Amino acid sequence: MSANCDIEFTLNGVKRQLSVPAGMSTLEMLRERLGLRGTKYACGEGECGACTILVDGLTLNSCLMFAVDCDGRELQTVEGVAASEVGARLRDAFVANGAVQCGFCTPGLMVQASHVIEHNPGAGAAEIRRGIEGNLCRCTGYKKIIEAIQAAEQKNG
Amino acid sequence: MGDIGSSLIGKRIPKLDAPDKASGKTRYIHDLEAPGALHAKILRSTEVHARIVWIDTAAAKRLPGVHAVITAADVPWQRPIGVAKDHLPLKTDRVRSLRDEVAAVAADTEEIAEEALKLIKVHYEPLPVLTTTDEALAPGAPQLHEGHANNVAMTFDYAQGDVAQGEAQSDVVIEDVFRLHYVTHCCMGVSGVIAEFDPGGSLLLYSNTQVPFLHKREFAEMLGIDPGRIRIIQPPIGGGFGSKLDVYPFEPIAIFLARITGRPVKLLFTREEEFLASPTRQPVVLKLRSGCKKDGTLTFRTVETVHDNGAYTSWGATTPFVMMQTVSSLYRVPHCKYHTAAVYTNNPYAGSFRGYGNLQATFAVEAHMDKLAEAVGMDLLAFRLKNAQEPGEVTPQGMHFKTCGFKQCLTTAAERSDFVAKQAANRARWRDANPVKRGIGIASMLHVGGGAKIYPSDGCGTILKVDDFAHVTLITGASEIGQGSETVLAQLVCEELGLPLSAVSVVNNDTDITPWDVGVHASRTTFIAGNSAIGAARKAKAKILAAAAAKAGVPVETLSLSQGFVFSENKKLFELGKFLRGLHFSDRAELVMTTFYYEPPSKHQDKQFKGDVSAAYAWATQACEVEVDTLTGIVRLLKVTGAHDVGRVLNRLGIEGQIEGGMVMGMGYALTENLVVENCTVKNPNFRDYKLVTAPEMPEMDISFIETMDGEGPQGAKGVGEAPAICMAAAIANAIYNATGTRIYALPFTPENVYRALHGAAQAPAWGKAA
Amino acid sequence: MHAIERYVRPGSLEEAAEILRAGNVTVLAGGTDLMPQTHAGRVKFQSVLMNVRRVPELRGIEEHGGVVRIGALVTITELRESALVRERLNVLWQACDHFASDQIRNAATLGGNVCNASPAGDTLVPLLALEARTVLASKPNGSLETRRIPLDKFFSGPGRTLKKPSELLAAIEVPLPPQGFVGEFYKHGTRPGLDISAISIAVGAQLKGKVLNEVRIAFGAVAPTPIRAPRAEAVLEGREADAATLEAAAQAALGEIHPISDVRASDWYRRELVRNMLKRVISHVGQL
Ligand SMILES: Cc1cc2nc3c(=O)[nH]c(=O)nc-3n(C[C@H](O)[C@H](O)[C@H](O)COP(=O)(O)OP(=O)(O)OC[C@H]3O[C@@H](n4cnc5c(N)ncnc54)[C@H](O)[C@@H]3O)c2cc1C
Ligand code: FES
Ligand code: FES
Repeated sequence: MSANCDIEFTLNGVKRQLSVPAGMSTLEMLRERLGLRGTKYACGEGECGACTILVDGLTLNSCLMFAVDCDGRELQTVEGVAASEVGARLRDAFVANGAVQCGFCTPGLMVQASHVIEHNPGAGAAEIRRGIEGNLCRCTGYKKIIEAIQAAEQKNG
Repeated sequence: MGDIGSSLIGKRIPKLDAPDKASGKTRYIHDLEAPGALHAKILRSTEVHARIVWIDTAAAKRLPGVHAVITAADVPWQRPIGVAKDHLPLKTDRVRSLRDEVAAVAADTEEIAEEALKLIKVHYEPLPVLTTTDEALAPGAPQLHEGHANNVAMTFDYAQGDVAQGEAQSDVVIEDVFRLHYVTHCCMGVSGVIAEFDPGGSLLLYSNTQVPFLHKREFAEMLGIDPGRIRIIQPPIGGGFGSKLDVYPFEPIAIFLARITGRPVKLLFTREEEFLASPTRQPVVLKLRSGCKKDGTLTFRTVETVHDNGAYTSWGATTPFVMMQTVSSLYRVPHCKYHTAAVYTNNPYAGSFRGYGNLQATFAVEAHMDKLAEAVGMDLLAFRLKNAQEPGEVTPQGMHFKTCGFKQCLTTAAERSDFVAKQAANRARWRDANPVKRGIGIASMLHVGGGAKIYPSDGCGTILKVDDFAHVTLITGASEIGQGSETVLAQLVCEELGLPLSAVSVVNNDTDITPWDVGVHASRTTFIAGNSAIGAARKAKAKILAAAAAKAGVPVETLSLSQGFVFSENKKLFELGKFLRGLHFSDRAELVMTTFYYEPPSKHQDKQFKGDVSAAYAWATQACEVEVDTLTGIVRLLKVTGAHDVGRVLNRLGIEGQIEGGMVMGMGYALTENLVVENCTVKNPNFRDYKLVTAPEMPEMDISFIETMDGEGPQGAKGVGEAPAICMAAAIANAIYNATGTRIYALPFTPENVYRALHGAAQAPAWGKAA
Repeated sequence: MHAIERYVRPGSLEEAAEILRAGNVTVLAGGTDLMPQTHAGRVKFQSVLMNVRRVPELRGIEEHGGVVRIGALVTITELRESALVRERLNVLWQACDHFASDQIRNAATLGGNVCNASPAGDTLVPLLALEARTVLASKPNGSLETRRIPLDKFFSGPGRTLKKPSELLAAIEVPLPPQGFVGEFYKHGTRPGLDISAISIAVGAQLKGKVLNEVRIAFGAVAPTPIRAPRAEAVLEGREADAATLEAAAQAALGEIHPISDVRASDWYRRELVRNMLKRVISHVGQL
């Protein structure tokens, strides 16, 4: 087993201190060590986006990020995003627009959508599609997800 | 009906479970903790086909943190599982495919369990491998299962009329061979289970099965316990699509480990395992011969298929039930003959998958509709309209189309997509210099929309209670698999009881509580569970109104429920909650609780596969527009125009979501998804090379609903869960032909396959041996 | 997984080079290659895992005296959002736009893409066409030294480069192409991004009227390393992109590639794509 390292970071606004093995992924740390189960595993290889989180304001696949690399950084998971103003808008829009079916992809999409909205306010449908190209959804066919993100964006204006 | 006030039917009703899901709060099986649980991993065969000579688990057992290492020898009481009971969860003396389960470990952590797997030694003696159905059917081929001398797992034969006579009457006869490929469900939530025994030996299983009541019986038999001692709880599921209709080895294995260790056992797949060891939609070689008269009347159809069953029999082998319906009854064909052999090979085995054989059958049938029309010089739409079924028809196979919006589907999709004009314009550009071509194609489908009587009962039970605060708890046997059934059921109950959606809770995931249901399959839940819920709600309503009539001293016919009140004509009589409390706290205390069991008026098919298996049938036509880059073979799907006979729209938001999702899934089947199996080995067990459609590839989708108001359906609705995926590949194939003049008979239409077809190069093998 | 005995986070290039000199180090940048590769057991961890994210010298995109220096830690997102890259190194910008997904682009570094040395690496192809060079830093004798290797000499095989284990990739240097230099990047696939290239092509040239000068052509995923195609370039040099010239260039290119068959494409199909798409890309460039 790998060496343990002490790390300190901010998670959804709260300071955390933890000792993690050097080879552990951030996804595993969040789910298994911190009990935050909103962030999902669906591939572990960066292909599906179910594990998307925000790190220092940018989205990453937490399954590809070494937990040790969280040291000194600011993380937000779907639990944090859902509690934010943008997150609440997005949640309402996802619900009202039928963007959720089985819901397994939804946490990752909520985080990615919040990033798209914050970084590219006024993004059109084409940009939104590109913005979520790293998030697979098997149920919805994406149309309602894109509509939901657009609706959340417009509420902002 | 909601007598006074507005109806919820047809509105855009958000799913009840969506807010939790969008907040990351929903607990899927992966997210559940059973205190003290061990983590299980399965050792799978490294040989395609071999005799197991010995297994040495000693070193694995010695690893600290390991609680149990089991092989078939440890569970002599295990029993064969699957549709044909040809499959032991843990293999005894022989493995027949690479996914085969040889041993299993329960340990303190997943890492330890994985380490332990590496310490298990298995000595195999390789046996000859059957990589294709051709090899399996060849004389002298090794036999994969006792009692199946020629490796044929199952056969299906159906006939109506006399195809020889039909052929004699034909002016045009065509024959082609179609090749369909492997795909798999790719549910975003990987498979998982938690098994736990109490000290008395009763089993509690957290499972994502789509058929909990059937599972209960199967596990009880295997464990030798009373089924009453098995409780199955279904946590929210990360996608189903038919993948969870059978018992697969991992569930019994987790149960064995839980029983042996006396601890809860949690077993989760990795994504790679999900690709390697979950069921598939199997390869089919389909030979279709059809004919018509000069005036466009269809005369006959003969179908012979060989299904690659894989190493064991699951539901995939039985897809002919559905395929033959499309062959015999989508269009009017007097003479029909159908034959399928499902053949054992050493490949991954075939399960049920949304559409259940219908994608494959429709792909072939609709290609021939185009070809026959062209051969007799008829317009593609007119040819179809001439042969399309109509309401009231009873087909030679015994299906009775009490409602049928097929012709409206055809004309609606054609008009909205400008099909006829675009077809002609595209053909006119076949020879121009631009290497990027446009095409439009059309295809239609017929699918069961009112359940399917596959088991002795196709019913569903409901328990309903209305509490002292007029809050309704709807307890239904029908599971929610993400398709939104619980919202629709709540809506139907509200409609009867005149309550807002917020007044209903749905309980649907615990076999100790919920009444019997056959399971979530065959697009049946809205229809069957819907009728069941309505039945229970109507009983509750009758009870409430009778009491109200007695109390108010008015005739019951004048009363209704609406807006949370008992109305008399147009006047509010009682506030419902208050009235119910009065009923309860009186000297003749009474609670409002009802039950209802709905059994659809469909019939089991007879031995000749004839009979009206469903209480209603769904229809759809889809027109697909594509752009084909002839220099790369890349096909882009630009637009889908779908017209769906759904009976009636209950929840517009939900039904649109089902159809859009299905369209994109059907698009993936046609254009991007391909489980590459070479020498019985899955070559692309990951999302990098197994390509699901992503957001930028999504086509424009235009959906129309044809409301035929089915007399038997709940509020007139029919099931639609599978319909939207079914005609996509067929319509896209026809569109590629319209764009390029080249007809491609083998799926998938990945760039290289299309390029090869366009440029006359040999088709790369869709599956089976490398070239 | 092999045991990581020590995890280190140097704060300067000096420090990082010092750690490398001691040996047995796995360098971690964005981790988007390292995590899946180690997880699947294709790559083994050395005993020291060195996270270089805090080395300030590895950051930044700057232009000095006609050379753009891109720090090894610059992410694909940063490249995609850089006006300098978009305006002056547009072929590279296009490749970044077609790179994976937003989440990957936010993590993936240019240095990681170069050091991973995949034949299909998307930035490598335009960088070859831009005649970029690598800047390698090490501390062989107690003081920091750098050496430069032109990118077309840097790759020695799939996943292999001339970088020594004791060296860190500090930056990529790209000479600014002449005014009027235009280029196009093509990545074969059905998706705009999230796709590993079955083949990729970068073509750059300076246009004088319709005549192509300074023609540079590079390919990905058609040989053990990304490659330049000098013979095809020679065919086009000083010519107009008419049909005969295009065909001659394509034929020359076919003699320069060595594609293989894998689950993504057959060698035959890769050749067909190179022929058809090279012609298409050059004719686009010729019209820019
Ligand atoms: C889902 C997915 C999609 C992808 N799509 C694409 C794509 O479209 N196109 C593409 O080209 N690639 C793609 N990749 C591959 C990967 O993202 C890129 O190669 C990326 O640029 C690697 O950068 P990194 O910073 O993450 O590297 P890391 O994983 O941190 O490192 C990669 C390798 O380089 C070494 N290394 C890194 N930096 C240095 C340095 N400064 N000095 C010395 N050695 C160093 C590391 O030791 C390691 O061996 C994809 C990967 C995933 C998971
Ligand atoms: S689990 Fe991280 S991208 Fe799929
Ligand atoms: S809602 Fe099921 S995967 Fe997206």
